[in-house]
Amino acid sequence: MQIKIQNLSKTYQATRGLLPVDLEVEEGELIALIGHNGAGKSTLLKLLAGWLIPDSGQVFVDDINLKNRLAVVRKIGFVPETPNLFDFFTVEYNLKLFARLFQVPFQRIDEILKAFNLLPFRNNKVQVLSKGLKQRVSIGRTLLADPAVLLFDEPTSGIDFEMTKEIYKLLKEFHSSGKTIIFTSHRPEEIKTLATRIMVLHQGDLVFDGSPQSYFQSDIHEKLYL
Amino acid sequence: MMMIRNIITLTVNDLAIAFKNKSIFLILFIPFFVYISLMLVDEAGVEIKRVNIGLIQSQHYPPVILESIQSADKLFSILTVSSKEEGNQWLKEKKIDGLLLRPEKDKISLVLVVLKKESVLSLQIVESFSALQKAVEGNGINWISDIKPLQEGGIQRQTLPTWILMLVMLVSFIIMPAQIAEEKEKKLLLALLQTPMREIEWLMAKLFLGMILIFIAVLFLHLMGRFDFGNVLSYIAFIGVGSFCFSAYGILLGFFCRSQAGARTLGVIFYLPHLLPSALSEFSQKLSTVAPFLPSYPFFESVKSVLLDDRRISTLFPAWLYLLFIGLLTFFISYLLMKKRWRM
Repeated sequence: MQIKIQNLSKTYQATRGLLPVDLEVEEGELIALIGHNGAGKSTLLKLLAGWLIPDSGQVFVDDINLKNRLAVVRKIGFVPETPNLFDFFTVEYNLKLFARLFQVPFQRIDEILKAFNLLPFRNNKVQVLSKGLKQRVSIGRTLLADPAVLLFDEPTSGIDFEMTKEIYKLLKEFHSSGKTIIFTSHRPEEIKTLATRIMVLHQGDLVFDGSPQSYFQSDIHEKLYL
Repeated sequence: MMMIRNIITLTVNDLAIAFKNKSIFLILFIPFFVYISLMLVDEAGVEIKRVNIGLIQSQHYPPVILESIQSADKLFSILTVSSKEEGNQWLKEKKIDGLLLRPEKDKISLVLVVLKKESVLSLQIVESFSALQKAVEGNGINWISDIKPLQEGGIQRQTLPTWILMLVMLVSFIIMPAQIAEEKEKKLLLALLQTPMREIEWLMAKLFLGMILIFIAVLFLHLMGRFDFGNVLSYIAFIGVGSFCFSAYGILLGFFCRSQAGARTLGVIFYLPHLLPSALSEFSQKLSTVAPFLPSYPFFESVKSVLLDDRRISTLFPAWLYLLFIGLLTFFISYLLMKKRWRM
């Protein structure tokens, strides 16, 4: 699964958003997208997920233009920072709704519930779950269609240390199963041993793109975070 | 002292929230709306509209009355109909405002047939006749001895079209925009767009939701009030096209708002102007000239004609087509906004 990004940009009224950027992502990469608030990390992920319409540029997933949403929608899964679930329904209802829309058998729901330790909560309303559990349901929902590319926007934001470790463990597992992953983070130290590639966005501009080793050897980390 | 300061701080904060979610606009909008409505209600000095009076060709009207009506051409215009049945039909189609019958040849008194007894127009006809008689004869036996309305069924049935309009507007402008804005606000719509669901499917689902809610509400109203349906096919055709038109309209309003609070405010801003002029147009000539500009008016008038005058869709087809057109137009705009991920 290869992603090609050509001249992709998005500007907002108040902030710069994302300046035109060109990128290529190879199959099986685990990319950490880092930068300060407003750097354009979430904008880039939302553009890849089809949440935002770009001002310019194109994205190709396995040579299929992202504009052809229905052709690529099963290939890309996006987990937003705040879980967007139907709060007033149960965990199982949420998964069933999306299983129907993805046209996957309900058997997959049991697999997901089991894999994410959600079996005890299957009949609980989402609104009573902790943010960590909601995040797990959100990830589980995204995996229903087994997409080859997974996008995570601040997956560890607002959750405790134990749950953060669990999320990173999940990312590693997804990566070892051959999935391409792009996730955003505020905390470069945490992703030192996790990512295979680091990209740094600053004020909408891609200012670094390389291996974790070269990132920590360069002065960019010092300039941005120290 | 600390307590007072906290209360002030929180009150200012609440006002800021009300301003932010646009609820505060309602306190400006509603008085403004009432002011405009009052301006549109007829005042004492309003110019009298000339009324169309139907006379049956074969009937012999008292010459004194006929001559008086003909000479009062600023008050009346006379139209001749071939029979009482045709006169009634013309009344229903609003080609005439009143029909004069002479029940007994030897008496001078006449029977006035009107669409609705309790209307400004009926009152105007009776007052005009009274003034005319006074000018011609001085005081005497009233020329009009009886008023027969075509719309029977009591005040409950007379108000039924207004209640139906109210229900349709409530679902379309209050419930639908808030539900759509909620799905946008909580990013649920974007989550659904991460699936192979097409935009048109989501819009159709919302449209059906609005239509189902309206049909259930109308059915419930009929069951509770034990009202019959009049001409069932024509009635279903108008409730169907009305629910389609206004549900699509409500969906569009939902797309204009980012939050539920904003949608509720916008909903009320659209709800009142669509409801009141249509429901009150019979009581004011000015309102009856303004109301046709709103899509709620052809819906209200058509439902009223089907329910109270037993008219059929074949005679009300332009109104049906107009509602269909407005529904399709608003639906199409919503589709374009959804494609552009407008305010999501």
